[in-house]
Order: sequence, then C-alpha cells, then structure tokens
Amino acid sequence: MATEKYNLKQEIETVREDCLRPTQKWGRSTQTWIGCLLIVMGWGLYCYIHQLRDGLGVTAMRDYVSWGLYISTFIFFIGISHSGTLVSAILRITKQEWRRPITRSAELLTFVSLLFGGIIPIIDLGRPDRLPNLVLFGRIQSPLMWDIIAICTYLVGSTLFLFLPMIPDMALCRDRLTVCDSPFKKFKKWLYTKMAIGWKGTKSQWHRLELTMTIMTIVIIPVAVSVHTVVSYIFAMTLRPGWNSTVFGPYFVAGALYSGSAGVVLGMAAFRKLYHLEKYITPRHFDLMGRIVLALTLIYAYLNLNEYWIPAYNMVTAEGHLLSDLFYGSYSKAFWTCQFGTVLLPIIIMSIPKGRTVTILTITCIIIVAGAWVKRYLIVVPTLLHPFMPIQEVPGTWSSYFPNYVEFSVTAACLAGIFLVITLFSKLFPMMAVWEVEKGILIEHDKQAAIELRTKREAEEAKIMGKRLKTGFEPLK
Amino acid sequence: MQEDNKQNNKTDRRNFLRKSLITGSILTAGAIGLEKVFPGEKDSGEKVKVLTPDGKVYVASSEHLKEYRPPPVTNAEARKGIANKKFVMVIDLAKCDGCKTCTVACQAMHFTESDREWIKVFKMQDADATAPYFFPKPCFHCDNPPCTKVCPVNATFKRQDGIVLIDNERCIGCRMCMAACPYSTRFFNWSHPDPKQTAAVGNTPYSPEQSVPRRMGTVEKCDFCPDMIRQGKMPACVSGCPMDAIYFGDQNEDAVTNASGVTVKLSQLLEDNAGYRHLEELGTKPRVYYLPPKNRKYPIPDMKSVGNEKKEKKHIEMDMGIMQM
Amino acid sequence: MKMNSMIKITSLAIAITGLFCGIATAQDQSQALGKSEATIELSYYKKTDMSKTAVAVIKAKNNDGKFVSAKNARVNFYVMHDKEQQLLKNVNTDNNGQAVIMLQKDLPLDEDLSFTIVAKIENDNLYEDAEEQVHYKDANLTLNLNPNDTARLVTAKVTEIGKDGKEIPVKGAEVKFYVHRLFGIMPATDDNTITTDEKGEASFAFPKNIPGDTKGVIIVAARMEDNEQFGNVENKATASWGTVLAMDKDPFPRALWEPYAPLPLVITISTLFGGVWFIYFFIFFQLRKIKKEKQLKMR
Repeated sequence: MATEKYNLKQEIETVREDCLRPTQKWGRSTQTWIGCLLIVMGWGLYCYIHQLRDGLGVTAMRDYVSWGLYISTFIFFIGISHSGTLVSAILRITKQEWRRPITRSAELLTFVSLLFGGIIPIIDLGRPDRLPNLVLFGRIQSPLMWDIIAICTYLVGSTLFLFLPMIPDMALCRDRLTVCDSPFKKFKKWLYTKMAIGWKGTKSQWHRLELTMTIMTIVIIPVAVSVHTVVSYIFAMTLRPGWNSTVFGPYFVAGALYSGSAGVVLGMAAFRKLYHLEKYITPRHFDLMGRIVLALTLIYAYLNLNEYWIPAYNMVTAEGHLLSDLFYGSYSKAFWTCQFGTVLLPIIIMSIPKGRTVTILTITCIIIVAGAWVKRYLIVVPTLLHPFMPIQEVPGTWSSYFPNYVEFSVTAACLAGIFLVITLFSKLFPMMAVWEVEKGILIEHDKQAAIELRTKREAEEAKIMGKRLKTGFEPLK
Repeated sequence: MQEDNKQNNKTDRRNFLRKSLITGSILTAGAIGLEKVFPGEKDSGEKVKVLTPDGKVYVASSEHLKEYRPPPVTNAEARKGIANKKFVMVIDLAKCDGCKTCTVACQAMHFTESDREWIKVFKMQDADATAPYFFPKPCFHCDNPPCTKVCPVNATFKRQDGIVLIDNERCIGCRMCMAACPYSTRFFNWSHPDPKQTAAVGNTPYSPEQSVPRRMGTVEKCDFCPDMIRQGKMPACVSGCPMDAIYFGDQNEDAVTNASGVTVKLSQLLEDNAGYRHLEELGTKPRVYYLPPKNRKYPIPDMKSVGNEKKEKKHIEMDMGIMQM
Repeated sequence: MKMNSMIKITSLAIAITGLFCGIATAQDQSQALGKSEATIELSYYKKTDMSKTAVAVIKAKNNDGKFVSAKNARVNFYVMHDKEQQLLKNVNTDNNGQAVIMLQKDLPLDEDLSFTIVAKIENDNLYEDAEEQVHYKDANLTLNLNPNDTARLVTAKVTEIGKDGKEIPVKGAEVKFYVHRLFGIMPATDDNTITTDEKGEASFAFPKNIPGDTKGVIIVAARMEDNEQFGNVENKATASWGTVLAMDKDPFPRALWEPYAPLPLVITISTLFGGVWFIYFFIFFQLRKIKKEKQLKMR
C-alpha cells in the first residue's frame, strides 16, 4: 500500500513537471517563431496604417462588394472561438473524463480567436476614430450592436472560463517558482502571484471554485450560441438574396462548431507534438474528438443542404442569379470544392476508424478549417455581387472582387497575432490544467483501486460460491 | 463660422492622423505621401486658385465655384426635417429616354465624381419577351428603411418629412447600411475626396442636408436635395430632367411637379398611369413611385451592350488560388 | 405655357450650370466663326401685386441645327412712345436663355389704349439680329372668395381700363383657376378654364378633395394666360376650403428605424444579456471572496 501511494505521488509529480516544463525555457526555435510572427504582424500593421491614412480604398473593396475578406475572416474567427465552449463546457457538463488534458488549449483558442475576431470589424471600419460613437449614440436596433454586446459578453465569459480553472495552476506556478534572480523571473513571480488571487487550496476555496466553474459552464453555452447567431443576423437581417434566410442562425452556429472543433484538434496536435505531451493527449483523444468533429460536420452538412437545396428548388429571381453563379458560374469551383472537399470528404474520412488516427485526423481538420474559411468568403462576397439592381456601367474593379495585398497582409497579421498570443501564453502558463489532470489521475487511481477491490472481493466470493457449488448445486451452463 | 469650420476640419484631420500614428510605426509617416496624381478632366471656365480646408492650394475651375450654398440648418433641425410634409417622387418611365441628364445635374449639385451616380439610369428588361426600358433610380427614401434600421450609431436617420439622410460627422463607416440596402443606393468614400471637388465645395459648413463636404470613410447617398427644398426649389435631378419624366412634391398636398413646372394631382397621376413601386414585395415602402413605360416615343435601350461591359471575371481563377492555401 | 416657363426659371437650380457648360463651350467655338441664327419669344406678365414684367426667351441654332437656349445674349428692351422706340434697358440672358425686366407702372399708351414692348438683339457678337414685339392692353383681374359661401364659389372678374380710367368688364376672356402647391400651381380641376360672362365674371365651385395645410388653408390663383388682348394676368386669394391635414401626432415613434427602439426589443435584449452579466458579477464576487480568504489566513 505504501509503495502504491509513493507511485501515485510520483505520477502526479511527473504530470506537474511535464506541464510546467515548456514554461521554463525559451528555446531558439521559439524565439525564431516569435520573430517571424512579429515580422508578419509588423507588416500587417504597416498596411493597416496605410489603410488608415488613405482610406479603405487601398483594399480591393468597392461599393458593390463593400464587405470582403475582413468580414469573412471575422465570421471565421468567431466560428473558431466556439471550440472552447464546445469541448470544454459540453464535455464538462457530460462529465467526460477524457476532456481533462485538452480543455485548457480549447479555452485558450476561444479566448484568442474571439479577441482577434473582435478586432477585425474595427479594422474594417471606415472611421475607427469614431468608435466612441457606439457608446454615445448606440442604437439597440442594429444587428451590429447586438454583435458588439454579444461578443463583449462572450469575451468576458470566455476570459472567466479560461481564468477560473487556471487559479490553482497559478498557485502551483507561484509556489514552484522560487528563484527570483532575473527580472524576467521577477515578473513571472509577480504575474503568478497576482493571477493566483491568494489561492491556498482550502476547502472553501475549492468549493467556491467548483461552484463558479459549474455556473460558467452552463452560462457560456447559450452565450456562445448567441454570439454566432447574432453574427449571422448581420447578414440575415438584410433583404439580400442568399443572406435573407431563416436558417442562417443555426447554419452559422453549426458552421462555427464544425470549424471550431476542427481547430481544437489542430491545437491538440500542435501542443502534443511541440511540448511532448504524447503521454497525456493520446490517440484515444483524437479518436474521440474525431467522432465529435464527424458529428458536427454531419450537422453542418445537413444545414448546408437546407441552405442551398430549398432556394435551388424554387429559384426565385434574385436568389436564382446568385445560386447559378455559385452552382455553375464563376464561383462554382470554389463552391463545390468547399462542399465536396471540405464537408463530404472529411465525413467519409472520419467515418473510418483509421481516419481518426492522429496524423490523418489532423490533416482532415486542416482541410476543414481552411474550407470553413473559404465558405465564409463564399457566403459574404457572391451575395454582394448579386444585388437586386443589376450591376451596370461601373468600373471593372467594382463588379468583381478579390482581396488585395493590404487585406491579405492585415488578415495574416491577425492570424499571426492569434499564434503569438497562444505561443506567449503557452510559454507563461501550463497548457494543460494541471490540477484537473491530477484529479483525473486520482479518479482513475480510485477507479483502479475500486476495480482491484472488486475483483478481489469477487474472487473471494467466487471462492465461497465455488465451495457452495461444490457442496450443493450443479454448475450452471 | 467659416474660420471655425476650417479649424475643426484641421483638428479633425489631425486627430485622425495622430491616432493612426499612435497605433503604430512612425516609419510610415514619411513613406506614404499624401500627394496624388489626379486624372485630368475636361473643364471649361477659368481656373481659380482655391484654398482647401486643410490648407492646400488647388487650381479649380470657376464653373464649380458659382454655386451659392446658403448657411445650412443646425444638425438637430436637419435630423427633424420639415414638419407636415411627406416628400414623394414619381418617375415616368414612359418619358425617360435614358439621357442621364438627371445624373449629371445631381453630380453638379453635390460635387460628385463622375463614376458615382446618386441617381443612376439602369437599362432594365424584366423578361426576355418584354421590352427593355430605362430606369432612373435615386434613393427610395423608404418608409420602412432597411438601412436606417441597421445603423448602429444613428448616423443615418429617417426624418418626419420622409427623407432619409446621413450625418457623415457621425458615421463610423461600418457599411452595414450598404449591405442592408436592397437597391445598392449607398456609396462609400473609400479614399480622400477628390481635391478638385473639395476645392469646389469650399468652406461650406457641413450639414446632413447638403451632404458636403464629404469625408473619407463615411457613407453617402441621394438626399432629395433638402437644402433646395427649404428654398422652395426641387431636387437637381427633377428640375434637370429635359424630358419632364421626374415629378416631385409633397404627398400631403397630393401634388407633384416636374421640371416644366407642370403640377399634377399625385393620386390622379398614379391612378391614370398604373403607378407602382419598385420591388414592392420587399416591403420597404419606397417614397419613389414609377409609372410604367407605356407608349414611349423614343427608341428602347439596347440591351446587347448590357452585362458585357468591362466585367473582369478575374476573381474566378483567383478563387482557386485561395483554395490551395 | 409661358407662365410655366416663368416658374421654370425660378425653379431650375443654378446647379445645372455644370450641365450646360459643356454645350455652351461647344457653341462658343462654333459661333466664333460666324453668328448663329436666333429667335426671340417675348411675353408680358401682370402679377397679383400689379407689377408688370416682360420676359424674352432667346433660342439660337446650334451645330446640329437645333434651337437651344442662348445664354449671355444681350437683349435690348424698348417701349413704343409716340411711334418711336424708347430704350428701356438692356439685359443679358441667363443660363436658360431668359432675359427679364420690370416695367414701369404707367407705360405710354397708343390711341387704342394699348402699349407695345419690343425686344431686340442688335449687333451681338454671337447672335444674328432679331426682333420681337408684343401689343397688349392693361387689364385687371380680381379674385373673390367668400369664406362663408357653402357652395365655395370662386369668382374672378376681368376688367379693362377705359380711357378715363374706368374699369369696363370684359366678356369672353378665358380665365384658368389653380391651387398653389409647394413647387408649382396645380389646376383646380381637370377642366379649369372658364370664360367670363357679360359682367366680366368667371366662376366655378371649388372642389372638395384638395388638401390644404393643417388649418385647411389653400391659395387659389386665377390667370389669364397668353390672352391675345391682355397677355398674362394673374391674381391670388386664400380661403380655408382645403381638407385639413392631420398633423403627425408623434413623428418619431419608437420603431426599428428611429433612434429609440421598440420596448419589447429593449426589454428582451436587456433581460437576456443583463441576466448573463448579473451572473458574471456573481462570479466576480466569488473570486473576491476567494481572495479575501487569503487575507484572513494571513492574519
């Protein structure tokens, strides 16, 4: 019994070691990576300043396509931000034990993509200097205002959702970080102390933490759904063909979950590889996540059917023009690639058990994420190119759209920003919820002990029964 | 007043620039020059040197300077509109010969660039077998305006006289209204306004009623010339129409007037000519009515030329580019 | 029709400058070579305030052989005085090709009590010489609306001024009745032309369905238009015979397109998100408690 306890302690110690190791040193590769990201972001910033000075005219957007890559990316990022809610909250509620090693990265992905998703509409503004007008003259009737409210609410919620399970870990980091010679370490010590908010691990603290966690887990799900619903309302509340659709709310939510869960798989794969967490994030995790992504892709495919088949059957004038452009017009290649390549193909791959192995699932999820991004673009741009009034006698640049270098640069900078924040975060904080994994080990240990106990007892019972059988009854067959 | 405005413009601009500098690198400040090369335009009339609000001297044609603009009403007044009036426009498609004089008159009135048509003349054909017709389309100033509904900052608003205006001193440039308008009526100032136009506008103080001076990063559209209405004059497109095809008036008076000064009973006009509103099924309740193109005395538009214009289908191939990422 | 074009002058915004300048320059170039043929259309107006004006509309042939408004043409106005032309004024035409002068009240008269006005283009650089004259008698048009009349009878009386200044009723003159609207005058009925009787009176019952302002007030105008004897004569009167315009009780109701939102929307959104934020604050409160606990222990 004593050796067993020792083993358990050692196991927990290994977990702590493994989780905190990445936070303790910054390798050359990390520095290069961050350097690259900073260069991309710097160039993006340069382009954005160019855009601020000379107006949005430096982008490829014009009066017909007045929203382009920026808004598409906005929806995409907001979609990715659904991952944290899904994996973390839903798996928590359903008490899935295997969630433990992946919740932190999922929650982080939510937080970061939401942060940058929220910045993009500001980048897309013609007059960002007038942002205070939103507070001074805000109109609650505008879907954009609903968006702002919902995204702010979700941002605060997901920050809390990320922060709450971090508290005990922060206390652990604070307690482990003893040497305070370099200023960098001093900063870390200060940061950990602040973020641990005086966590001592007392019973009442644990009680409060669990209470707040439970509440947040429940609250964050409807908030997340509301966010993507109102994002879809930006489009669905207009009268434009292709947008004016009652299925848009659920369609966007499904699309968000589809791309978001794939995003979580990518995060899992990256951290597993880079931080050597193979022991914790196992092929079993990928298999289970693969099943979830599959289920969500199926839902998304179903909503795609609703979104396109119903209007395609009716072919109402204005919508008909749009749909013919999508089905066999200038956007048909992109459209069908999206539908078959990034929805149907992943469904087929993930249906096969071999398709849910680490490498293949990761590749599939890359396809899904990229496909989701392109699909956002295909929702925004073709509709704008098919207004009710015909596009006549306008410069060629107005009647077509493809994002130019400014838009690509700024978008890339946002993506780099997401990577940068994730990198910095993972270099400062453990990327697995240490205490949750520990708890998982303890539960697992208890289970093992219980099983052992039961098998022992069963064996004993069997002995007794056997005796009885021998004495009294004929064995049953 | 003018001096004040000048000052305001200056500080406005300065703030804008300062903000952009605060946000980021100082490197760019020198790299991106403000000077642009402006395409030469045919201009009659003598050249006059004008000082723009941001202190630059431009040579403008005196033709553009003749316009006298009375001092505008206050912003609060402009947002309220004229009491007990409901402005309405009737466009007789049977009379429109597609000469686009309305567009030109509008552009002169609002100092707009030539490719920006607040009132645009479309060549329409409803079905293959039906006859094509010219279709001038201003802003419809809807009574159930989709654009105004979605504005997050109340920068575009519906007045009591039915006119929908934009306050470009408040607009944040989100372009939600442009996405919401089913008639593609709204335009965005993607870049700095053309300095020639800025010079022509001169030091006119801004009012939503005259839509100038325009500002980068804000939305603009047909405004039914409310400043002219206040002077008892009709919008530029109406009085400019040589075919007398556009009528304008007050629905409360049940009368509309055309460029020749012929005033007719609105209800009678709509009744006799089977007046209708464009895309009625959208439920936006436009304030612009159309009379069907019956018994026309001019050639119908040539629809062969429509749709084949410089439409660059570049985005097809490039879409595939994005797919490969 | 001329009355209408009169209004056109005022209503046509100067904004069309830009529009016409292109055509004008084209003309300037062609006309530098030779003078172009011009026509004058002269009309005479007597308004409600008894003011008298003469309007000359000049049109000139352009390159295509079409007659278009000639701007900046110099028009000399004369009045016949003892069979001699006496120069009144010279006026340059505006962008619509119109030249307007105010006439003196007591124009010199002929034996038949009529006066003659002449408009001429003489020695103009751009246009060939042209001349036009009109010959009218002075007439008065009075308009009488009895506000107490239930039949709403509008009566106009036309008189000409006799030798001794006496007013003589005119029979058989055509009078047209109009209602003033925001941008012009609208015929009061479909058939708004009434001919005067031997008393010089023309009258008609004012229709019931013409909207007035918020008090029902309308302005009625009676006109003789292009009368062979008297030119254009007009008079106006007001009465509250229009239908009363119901004022907007609330021009800015709570609506989706107005600054203030409908209450159900406000309530729904504030309840939903207010509820979420309430929970957030509860969580912040719990976090505070977690923090406070430490301080207790420290002590």
